[in-house]
Amino acid sequence: MEQEIKGIVFKGNSEGLIIVIPENYDFEQALEEIERKVTSASRFFKGARMKVAYRGQKLTPEQEEAVKAILDEKSGAIIESFARDEEPVREHISHQNNNTHKVPVRGPFFTGIDEGSCKFIRSTVRNGVRIEYNGNVVVLGDVNPGAEIVASGNVIVLGILRGMVHAGADGNKDAFIYALNLKPTQIRIAEAIARMPEDEESAHGICPEMATVKDGVIIVEQM
Amino acid sequence: MGEVIVITSGKGGVGKTTTTANIGTGLAVSGKKVVLVDTDIGLRNLDVVMGLENRIVYDLVDVVEKTCRLKQALIKDKRYDGLYLLPAAQTRDKNSVKPEQMIELCDELRQEFDYIIIDCPAGIEQGFKNAIAGADRAIVVTTPEVSAVRDADRIIGLLESQEIRNPRLIVNRVRADMVKRGDMMSIEDIVDILAIGLIGVVPDDEQIIISTNKGEPAVTDNKSMAGQAYRNITKRIMGEDVPLMDLNTSDGFLSKMKRLFGIKPA
Repeated sequence: MEQEIKGIVFKGNSEGLIIVIPENYDFEQALEEIERKVTSASRFFKGARMKVAYRGQKLTPEQEEAVKAILDEKSGAIIESFARDEEPVREHISHQNNNTHKVPVRGPFFTGIDEGSCKFIRSTVRNGVRIEYNGNVVVLGDVNPGAEIVASGNVIVLGILRGMVHAGADGNKDAFIYALNLKPTQIRIAEAIARMPEDEESAHGICPEMATVKDGVIIVEQM
Repeated sequence: MGEVIVITSGKGGVGKTTTTANIGTGLAVSGKKVVLVDTDIGLRNLDVVMGLENRIVYDLVDVVEKTCRLKQALIKDKRYDGLYLLPAAQTRDKNSVKPEQMIELCDELRQEFDYIIIDCPAGIEQGFKNAIAGADRAIVVTTPEVSAVRDADRIIGLLESQEIRNPRLIVNRVRADMVKRGDMMSIEDIVDILAIGLIGVVPDDEQIIISTNKGEPAVTDNKSMAGQAYRNITKRIMGEDVPLMDLNTSDGFLSKMKRLFGIKPA
């Protein structure tokens, strides 16, 4: 057990920061490590507004207060909240013989939207087909109504997009959707959902458009 | 060796059975040896449309369960030489037949006939799986309605996943006047979405209802426009190059239709 214990781990998520404190970790040591990490990254945190969650070892209210005080003081960020994240961490599953493995692990979201794994679909995606991929998806064909593409990264359709596409499905708001002709049933990026205006005269042929999230709302721009 | 062609659509009521009856009869009139197989077990209709209902003794389920020999179950159409029907059972359900049994049946029929035309039930469940199991080719029937096109798209995907490549499309019940007014999906719109080759366009024709009720396929009726469309489809199945209908002319409806279906204006 002792050898398996790693130090404090910081992870980013869509709302801010997750601090992983290994079970049975000495609190004083944890506090020290958190302080060191936060101080060294204070330039990164400065001015940010974030929610901080921690996983792993359960802290007493006093201990939680102590951690929050250090975060407030040393990070330069505005800490909106500090609370225990109830979902278990991957590292702990193997150690614990309880049922927690049934609860999905909420890790940090997919970040390879500039450079990362990519799946190519070399045909039209038809009604009733669902493509799920942890990464970017490129479709060399159309996406028809009733088809669903769920990707943790970007989705690019080199054809007409008529179906449903969810980009950044695990929370990356910077993911985009691009199509040579964008007339989807619905598009989703991270938590944002949009549908096409019904009265809009839809363009025929090639008219490339890209959908991104701005201020929590999906916007579509001609390319 | 004969060719097995399945007529399918996903959605019900778009004209699978009528298409099966007309294509089958058309091929038989052209001198081919044809068998029509109704796989819509429990909801059989093809026998009615063919006017052969009262001659059924054995059916598809009897054949696969080996209650009778294949030859005993085949009903010979007395009007057209070389046309046979293998009817579906009416008092059983789709689970009475397995895909492997259909493959075996198709292989047996292939020895005897030039064309085996399979009438597929609506839906994507067991009946559909049975119908496509032994097929070499598929013809997908749709109507110019969004719901029918959606289902056709689903069906094409399922056919492709079963290694039945390049299905052909029939757009049934087209009303050129409505398309012209923009009230009906055009052939181009449909082909755009489904992205498969068109093998025929059948106009909406009340003659079809009359001939269906009488049990006489419209394909043999020279006055019926739908009949002409089915004759063209039959020729295309046999490999002839017949031009498709063109909806973009500005002439009157009747002369346009006449031209489209190859009838010379008087």
